[in-house]
Amino acid sequence: MPITAEDVAVRCCVYDIVLESGRVPARQDCAHRLSRTDAEIAASLERLHAAHQIVLAPNGEILMAMPFSAVPTPFVVSSGTFRTYANCGWDALGVAAMLHCDATVSTSCSDCGDALEVSVADSRASGDALLHFALPVRHWWDSVVFT
Amino acid sequence: MLFFRDEEHVARWCRAWRQPRGAVLDLNTAWRLADAWYGVPRNRRDWRRYSPDEVAAIFARLGLTGEFWSS
Repeated sequence: MPITAEDVAVRCCVYDIVLESGRVPARQDCAHRLSRTDAEIAASLERLHAAHQIVLAPNGEILMAMPFSAVPTPFVVSSGTFRTYANCGWDALGVAAMLHCDATVSTSCSDCGDALEVSVADSRASGDALLHFALPVRHWWDSVVFT
Repeated sequence: MLFFRDEEHVARWCRAWRQPRGAVLDLNTAWRLADAWYGVPRNRRDWRRYSPDEVAAIFARLGLTGEFWSS
């Protein structure tokens, strides 16, 4: 399924909305903004999902617009008044990278549950934390939610 | 990709969840990887996913080599 110009417009719309608001949009938000039908948006999202540019939930709504998560996670990223959820620790740092802003990640140790804070400032990250990649790269898309 | 307080906590989590230890990155390496991966906003029309060769080059630049990092 090749990506069409309409699909690119939908991808840009998804990221425009999440970068403005911190919220991954629903299908109807994109349909409204682009003056397209829900069926057209759904078809574009399916192609973007197949191309690993986003991840859809079983109901056809966006679950992940990497690095952003449509559902609450233990990776909360704040920058000024902007606040959002990331999919994982790497994606939390990815939000700061995509924003090109200093940011704070409020999270926790995945073992003991103690609160952790990671800061990105002046293009450096700091905090009392490490990031563990459980799966080798070649298996990242086997089950992207687990990854 | 999960945050941990230190290596001991990574090891304990791996034992508890019966997962092999993967790769552990310090925060600055993780940040540089995130910056390389996500630094181009995806609301740009000309954004595209990196090719396998480009991905390999990013990993190599950060010293992330070996079987774990090969796609």
